[in-house]
Amino acid sequence: MRKKLFALALLLGATAAEAQLPGLRRRGPAQPQQPLLQGIDALRAEFAAQSGGTTIYYGGGSVALAPTARPTLALQAAWLRRHPEAVVRVEGYGDGQDTRDHALAAGAARAEEVRSYLVLLGVPAAQVSTTSWGKERPGLGRAVTVLVR
Amino acid sequence: MRKIFGTLLLAIGSAAAAQQPAATVIAVPPLTSPDSGDKGNQMLAVGWNVTQAIEADLRQTAEVMPLKPNRDDYYSYPEVTAPTFSKWRSVGAKALVTGFVQGRSDGRLTVGCYVYDVDKGRELARKGFIIGANDWRRAAHKCSGLAYTAITGAPGIFDTRITYVAESGAGEARTRRIAVMDSDGQNHRYLTAGDAMVLTPRLAPNASQLAYVSFAGGRPAIRIIDLGSGQERPLVPSDAISFAPRYSPDGSRIVFSMMLGANSDIYVVGANGGQPQRLTTAPGVDTDPSFSPDGGKIVFESDRSGSQQLYVMNADGSGERRISFGGGWYAAPQWSPDGQWIAFTRRGQDGRRIGIMKADGTDERALTAGPGDDGASWAASSREILYERTGANGRNGLYRVALDGSQPRPLATPQDGSDPDWSGVMD
Repeated sequence: MRKKLFALALLLGATAAEAQLPGLRRRGPAQPQQPLLQGIDALRAEFAAQSGGTTIYYGGGSVALAPTARPTLALQAAWLRRHPEAVVRVEGYGDGQDTRDHALAAGAARAEEVRSYLVLLGVPAAQVSTTSWGKERPGLGRAVTVLVR
Repeated sequence: MRKIFGTLLLAIGSAAAAQQPAATVIAVPPLTSPDSGDKGNQMLAVGWNVTQAIEADLRQTAEVMPLKPNRDDYYSYPEVTAPTFSKWRSVGAKALVTGFVQGRSDGRLTVGCYVYDVDKGRELARKGFIIGANDWRRAAHKCSGLAYTAITGAPGIFDTRITYVAESGAGEARTRRIAVMDSDGQNHRYLTAGDAMVLTPRLAPNASQLAYVSFAGGRPAIRIIDLGSGQERPLVPSDAISFAPRYSPDGSRIVFSMMLGANSDIYVVGANGGQPQRLTTAPGVDTDPSFSPDGGKIVFESDRSGSQQLYVMNADGSGERRISFGGGWYAAPQWSPDGQWIAFTRRGQDGRRIGIMKADGTDERALTAGPGDDGASWAASSREILYERTGANGRNGLYRVALDGSQPRPLATPQDGSDPDWSGVMD
């Protein structure tokens, strides 16, 4: 038992000594900061998981944010503030039954509502861009925050 | 109850059919030639091409019904200016279009075109064109236009171009290209490669250039293509979302929508560039502007009242006034070339349909039954409207409908089509 403990202490001591060596010996420039280890897909998965969802739905032709959208956007904003290196694009969608150009405008307005709210919550404006797909892609009227970088 | 409703619908249907005016029957004998020998035979061959193209042009219309020409039915040169009217009366023709093709010493051709009222036995119109040896199709379109205008009083629609979005695939994988063709389907070509989504191509009145919406830069923005040189440029230099372009009747200006924050307003800019001028400031979506034929007014759609409705304003943005007051939503207006009508998409619980109303908002009529119709574009004649119909299977096709109450007819395209736009008569 005592022998074993002694051996462990030796081992720990050795490890500690070893750990100090590179710092003492190093010459030349410091190592560059570790780049983002996560791939974009993993980062997107993390963003989606930690913001409680990337999609905000709009009902009945409205372009105004529903109060129920705010908790999700608050989480999106918190994540984006923690990740200033990430860039998102909010993609707005119109309603399938709408006319083409009104749907395009409604999609753009929905995306802009989300962007404004994120900026209001402290996300730098340069971190968030917008676009609109109008009624050109299927699905309900919505705004989706897509991580692009 | 349902049965009564069905019977009522039937009654309305047959009343509309009874109101439909009979088309004017027109004889189209083979064009003749004053030339003789081999040259004469060559000219007769060209004349036969022109004759067939005239027949095909007139057959597209709702108002004129051509008799099938017979190549063996030789038509002498003196008969061009002195037709045997009794002969055409006996086959039921009310009108006659005839003419000749003559070779010139410089290799070009003279095409003469004559239109007659068969009942009254008098000339209605005549016109001559000098054309390149291979340009016989345009001469035919000019000749068809002469006959159409003489009979209906409206500009011909034959020497015009149509642009639309050609679609292949479905859903997210759908590819779209801007296509342009002559109104008879000839000279069909694609102007974009299909790598970026494109929407709403709109031709300049003389079909020399085209404005459309491209998603190539990630956000929808209007671009201009010169059809002669193929050169392309953005309409406005900013990276703002811009859409819904339309040319002024003289081709010098483009009116369009641009987003500023969550607000879509109407702007006007020179067709060759310059600083855009903002015309509307109301909160909400103002879009789909269209000039009146004199260029003095603009009709557009706005949801400022809570639902999409049609408004008319002066071309400088002053004097806005709402003109649509029926139930449902009114969208995508276009002013007719003769100034009389405004075509629009009316959206209700039963879908989207194409309708027209007078420019002051009175005399509204539904032209199509829906439920997936949108994007009305006037023919130069102001007698017909081209539009897109989304079928129950989600596929889009182009249709044309006349104002006379007749049934819509499909316009053939090589692929599915959406967002049609019909130019004015080319120079």
